This record gives sequence, structure tokens and C-alpha cells, in this order.
Amino acid sequence: MTIRNEIRRLRFEHGEMTQQALAARIGVTRQTVNAIELGKYSPSLEAAFKIAAVFGMPLESVFHYSED
Amino acid sequence: MPFREKSAWISLLSMLCIYGVYFWSVKHAAPSVGSFRFGSLLETIIALVVVQAVLTVAAAILTPAEAKAPRDERERLIELRATRVAYAGLATGVSLACFFGALNPPMVFDTNALLLVLVTAELVRSGSQIIQYRLSA
Repeated sequence: MTIRNEIRRLRFEHGEMTQQALAARIGVTRQTVNAIELGKYSPSLEAAFKIAAVFGMPLESVFHYSED
Repeated sequence: MPFREKSAWISLLSMLCIYGVYFWSVKHAAPSVGSFRFGSLLETIIALVVVQAVLTVAAAILTPAEAKAPRDERERLIELRATRVAYAGLATGVSLACFFGALNPPMVFDTNALLLVLVTAELVRSGSQIIQYRLSA
């Protein structure tokens, strides 16, 4: 099971938003945003929706699930 | 290094050093000292509280925003996983101490054995937290 995400690209497209800025907007630490971005931590549904909302995208455009 | 990971390191290293000295002194105590030395344990606990408080305050001064922020979901998950691992060790250790306690060892052995189990469980908890922080860094 793999959950990939587009957070790095979306941050770049939103004026090089820093991990710290994204973390502050969704209420987690910068280290947690980094772990999510690298696929080392799967966020809760609430955090995933918050991240998608920050970028103004639907959830499935930010996170992708595949059964590898 | 995030503040929570620093806290786990402070906990692990301070307990290793301070309880290490305590158990070393218990092991090398004169055979005539048969009773449980409450004063020595009290000194150990006070030393541990002081060292951990000073180092944690120092770490908080270096990263005040992180120290003030509540734990986020990943940090809570790491803490819960670490506690689950430590609890399994604690339950096993207490069961073994009860088993050997039934063999009528001297009181000093039994009390220190239980203390050793508790300290080991705390070391496992802090160690498990550090490993999880490192793996997800």
C-alpha cells in the first residue's frame, strides 16, 4: 500500500510556500509536513483535507493511493 | 532536531546515567548492607528530576515555539506506539519479578528488581520514540 502526494509540487506552485508555512496553516509541526511529503507518515483524514483546502484542490488531486 | 526528540534524548540519557550509577552502587554495595536503601533512591530521583528539568528548560529556550506548541497527530502517534512497546516490556518484567519474588529472595533484590523493570520500560519508551522520530525524519 502506497500513498503518494503532490505536496512538494503544489508548494512550489503556490509561491514556494515553505513547509513551516504549510505546517502553521494545518496545525502540525514542520517535521510532520516533511514526513508526509516524503511519504514516511500517512496523515489523518482531517489533516489531509486541511492540506487539500490550503491548496484549493480536491483531496484526490493531492493524495494518490495505489496497492503496490 | 525537533523539541520532542530532544526531550526523548534528555529522558533516555539522564535515566541511563543516573539510574546507571544507582544500580551500580546497589550491585557493588557491601554484603552487610542488606536493607533497601531508601535514601539512596530518593537522592537518585531528586537528581533525575533536577537534571531533566534543567535540560528540558534549556532545550525549550533554544526552540520556544516548538516547546509551547501542543503535540500534533504524528507526535501523539509516536508517543502512543512507544508506550505500547514499553508496556509490553513492563508487563513481562513485572510478571518475571513476581515469579522470582515467589522464590523468597531478599527484600532488597525484589524492590530493586521492580525498579529495574520500571526504569527499563521508561528507557524502551524513550528509545522507541527516538527511533520513530529518526525513521520519519
